[in-house]
Order: sequence, then structure tokens, then C-alpha cells
Amino acid sequence: MLAWLERRWETVRVLFIEYDDLVPFVEAMIAARRVVGPVAKRGEFTYEEVGSAGDLRLDFDVTILPPKKVFIPTAQDLLRFDGGTVEHCIDPVETVLFGVHFYDVKGIDMTDVLFRESKADWDYLAQREATTIVASNIQSVSPKAFWDSVGTEVKPEGHDVFLTKIEGGYVFETRTEKGEALTAHGVFREAAASEIEAARKVNAAVMGTCARRLEHPSVEIAKKMQEAFGDEHLWQRLAERCFSCGACNIVCPTCCCFDVQDHWNLDQSSGCRTRYWDACLTREFAAITLAGGGSENFREQKCARFRHRLMRKTAYLNEMLGGPACTGCGRCASACPADIADPVRIINTVMEVRA
Amino acid sequence: MSRSCADSGNGSRESLFFPREATIIRVSQPTENERHFSLKLVDGGEMDFEPGQFLEVGVMGFGEVPTGFASSPTRTGGFDIVVRRVGRVSTAIDSKGVGDSLMIRGPLGHGFDLDALRGHDVLIVAGGLGLCPTRSLIQYILDRRGEFGCFTLFYGARDPQQLLFSEDRAGWRVSHAVEYHETVDKADSTWAGNVGVIPTLFRRVQLTLETRVVICGPPVMFKYVIAELDALSIPHEHIYVDLERRMKCGVGKCGHCQINDTYCCTDGPVFTFAQIQTLAEAI
Repeated sequence: MLAWLERRWETVRVLFIEYDDLVPFVEAMIAARRVVGPVAKRGEFTYEEVGSAGDLRLDFDVTILPPKKVFIPTAQDLLRFDGGTVEHCIDPVETVLFGVHFYDVKGIDMTDVLFRESKADWDYLAQREATTIVASNIQSVSPKAFWDSVGTEVKPEGHDVFLTKIEGGYVFETRTEKGEALTAHGVFREAAASEIEAARKVNAAVMGTCARRLEHPSVEIAKKMQEAFGDEHLWQRLAERCFSCGACNIVCPTCCCFDVQDHWNLDQSSGCRTRYWDACLTREFAAITLAGGGSENFREQKCARFRHRLMRKTAYLNEMLGGPACTGCGRCASACPADIADPVRIINTVMEVRA
Repeated sequence: MSRSCADSGNGSRESLFFPREATIIRVSQPTENERHFSLKLVDGGEMDFEPGQFLEVGVMGFGEVPTGFASSPTRTGGFDIVVRRVGRVSTAIDSKGVGDSLMIRGPLGHGFDLDALRGHDVLIVAGGLGLCPTRSLIQYILDRRGEFGCFTLFYGARDPQQLLFSEDRAGWRVSHAVEYHETVDKADSTWAGNVGVIPTLFRRVQLTLETRVVICGPPVMFKYVIAELDALSIPHEHIYVDLERRMKCGVGKCGHCQINDTYCCTDGPVFTFAQIQTLAEAI
């Protein structure tokens, strides 16, 4: 049923598109279907529907939100009801997600697993299936990034094309049939051996350029994090300034917890059941309501919630995902108003304390 | 109710959140805050579940709450749930009466390991609302009495006004199929029975080392009951706990019910104590 999710990509063809041919290629895709890509927004970058190929900014360092929002909208209707009628809302839109760095491809691989395992969640998978992903090489490095030292044993899988900018144009490696299909929109030729080698060098050269880095392999980190679980003082110290705002969760490419709420339309007979992004750092996340207005909160202390996020990113899901659920994008470090969410600082501290 | 997607069953691309409609065929109100509903699927099918599994019960426009089955699959012609009125959703459910519909998803999760219980003495310890999911197992054992050894049941409530299933309890008191003990934390003038918390009932019975124990109740109850079982040297592999968490989606996706790395809704809600004793956030 989900063969397309099981694939391990291999290169179908290595093509080349001239620099001047890229804009017409993207324009032709925009004319045919929805194209979402990185665009500039107030000095930062975000994934948006691209109206004009000229808006696409393949020189972005990192986007504010990860591309997960294409498959997991911040608010997603699951069911529509009217009187006694209930309908589901699965209605995928053919989309090209154009310009995804490899660390975000890894993030998408992980949400793919989380929404596929146990029971297949078609409210996610349908849009995922309808999306063609064009990965692109990293042209600028975000100051908080550490993607070259985290989970290096995990390779990015779920993309259909890999695009690398070299002198004079782009090497365009198609990985899947979906990727091949895009070539109908542009002018491509077989890449020369020298161009393939130039692309390899570009992608190799960017590794090792992150200013921040983890000093230990993920297996060692997972073990130490598990061992540090019961060190209450350590977690209290690390979480001391936490506002429990959940910004670190919201910007994370592998955080996909959600809340479900019903709401009514103005006619008071119809409405929707909708899921919204949720965040395990927020106070009420694990609370249940008891009789008499009381409640039981299974992660009442902010340090327990802070620890839960770090355990999720470094240890809990490793077996299922083949590596840590952190891609090194550094978004949580940038988003945290208290400046305490940076996984590099937290993990390196734990490794030092438990050494 | 119409289905917009004809495809169903295995391989379905239907939403995991698409509910089934069930009609309320009986309602009673055992306590001030709890209502006991008997339901039947509108499509005419029987609910195929095991004791200890749960379902999401809801009303469109309000939401869903996780609720254990309160009747045994050995009793056909519908199934029971008990809902305590505490919030917006449970209040909406509470307002429904005979002939009205509830929207349900399930059965969900893993129930009691019946094969592991069969052939052994069984003790069920139920506190408060914990009697509802365990009633499914109690009925199951009583209906297949020959498959189990000695059967002991402890039930405790805060006060006599909170006691559930009065007809069932009247039957258990005089039954030879179950050794039944009940207690209340605080008595009132109507109460002539035991007074004290559940662990005090242990001194009234002789349990064998081979007894399989099922515990369901408020979080605070677990550690005291397990302390009693430890004193009897009952192995933790033989102790089953039915946990309560915020099982919002019920299908291992939303993250709310996670206990460390374990999803209460899909890995549980029934666990052996051996499975969860190393999970710091479990009890």
C-alpha cells in the first residue's frame, strides 16, 4: 500500500539545466500546479506558494518554519459535519516542494515514518503522496545550524530530485518517476562528467561548515541522555528560564504532535473537527481533567517537559527512525525567547556532566 | 449518516478520525456525575473488542474522550460505557438519552492478556471509575468461569455515593463465582460495610503467589496496592495495570499520552507492571 514510502532512492538520471533556463522551468511548473518554495520575508525566509519564479530564493540559509507545514497544515480540517452527516476532508493538492535542504528532507523522512507507523494517517499521507520534492544544495549556512554533526548515519531519502548549483547552471539528479516527470517542464540535457564532479564537490564542501557542532556520535549521546534522565538538578538547571511557550516544538521539523478541536459554523448546525499543531513544552499538554474541577498533570514540572523534548530528539525515537529525531537545522535555538533550547549546548552539557 | 469515502477496512485511505455512529439503547445514572450508557452500532454489526481496550466517544461539534469498554465481549447485543461529567465533551455526552447517537472510534489499544490470565487465580483491584474498564474483564471471567482459578475482586470508592453498578455488586456479594470485597474511604449513615482505603482489603484474603493481579484506578492508588503485592512477593510480570492518560487521538500520533518513549494508547493502556516500572513518568 505504501510502497512509495518504502523506497530507497537511487539516481535515475543526472541532468543539467542552464542557469538562464531555471526561471522558465519554474514558471512552467507554476502554470501546471502549486509550487511551494523558500521566499524572502522581512529579512528571513519562509516556505510559501511561489507566485513568480523570480521570488524563489535558493540561496536561503534556513526557513522560519520547516516544510512540514505543506503536509501538516497549522490547522487542518479532519472531518466536516452538518446535522447527522459526517464527511472526511482528505483533498490533496498536486504540489511541487521546490528547494529543500537535505536536513529538512531528513525531517520529512521522519514525519513520514511517524504518520505511517502503527496506523497509516491519510490526512498526512495523501498530501505527502501528492507532493514532488526537489531538494537543493545548501548555499548559505545558518549561524545556529549543526546538520553536519548530528545523526550523520541517517541519509536523506524522501526527495524526487536533487538540485545542485554549479558554475553556469544546476545539476538536476532525478531520483524517482515523480522527479523525472518534472523534466517535461524545462530544457535539460545530460550532465557532463565534469559537471557531476563539480556538484559532488559543492555538496562535499558544505559539510564541516557549521559553526556549531556535536562532539559525540548519536549512539553515545542517546545512551548518556537516557542515563541523565533521573538527574533532576541538571534538568532543573537547564530548564530554569523556560517559559513553556513551545516555540522550540513549533519550529522543529520532526515535532508533529497535535491537538484536535471541534468548532461550529455560524449556522450552529455545521462545523469541523480540526487538528492544530501542539507543543509538549506547554503546561497542559499531558494533563487530564478530573471530577470536581481538578486535574492530573503527568508532566507538571517544566523541567520534565523540557527533558521530554530532548529525549524525543536524542533517544526515544532512534530505533524507529534509524537515528536521532534531530536534523541539526538549529531552528529551536533561534526561536527560543529564553535562549535555552539550543540542542548543541544542552547535549554537550549533558555529555560533559555525565562524562 | 453518509460516508463520503466508500473505501473502508484494511487498505482504506479514509481518515483515521472518521467515527462510527452508535445509538444509545439504555441509560442509567449510578452517581451524581456518572452516566452508564448501553450502545449499539447503527450499521448493525457487533463491536469486536477485548476487555481493557478503549474507544473514543464523542459528539460532533464538541469532541471526543477516551473511554474503556465497561461490558464484556461475551455479552452480545451492544456494549457499555460509563462517562463521568467533567468537561465540555463529557457534558455533551451526558446530555444524550435513549435513541440519541454518539460517535465512536475503536476498539483501540491493547487490552488484558486473557491467555496469560487463563488457568490462574485472578485478583482485580478497582478504585473509583477503575471499576468500569475492569467490569469488562469481570463479566468475561464470570461468563467463562471454568477457564480461570480463584477469582477475587476488590472495589473501593471515595464514599458510598460514588459506588457504581449496584445491581452487579448485589450479585457479586452473594455469588460463589467471585470472592468480592468492597470498601469506602469515608462512610456515611447509609454505610454498614468496610471503611478504609483499598490496600486494607488485602488482610481479608489469602492470595497465592501464582495469582495474576489487575489494577485500575486513580494514579495515587497504584503504588499502595503494588506495595501490598510486593509484600506478598507477587512477580511484577504477573501484575497488570490499566493506565489513564490524555489519549487524544487514540492511534499513536498526537503525542499527548506519551509516557517516556511509550504510547499509552497503542502500547497500552494495559501494561504489565514489569513493562512500566522503569518508566519514570508512569506511576
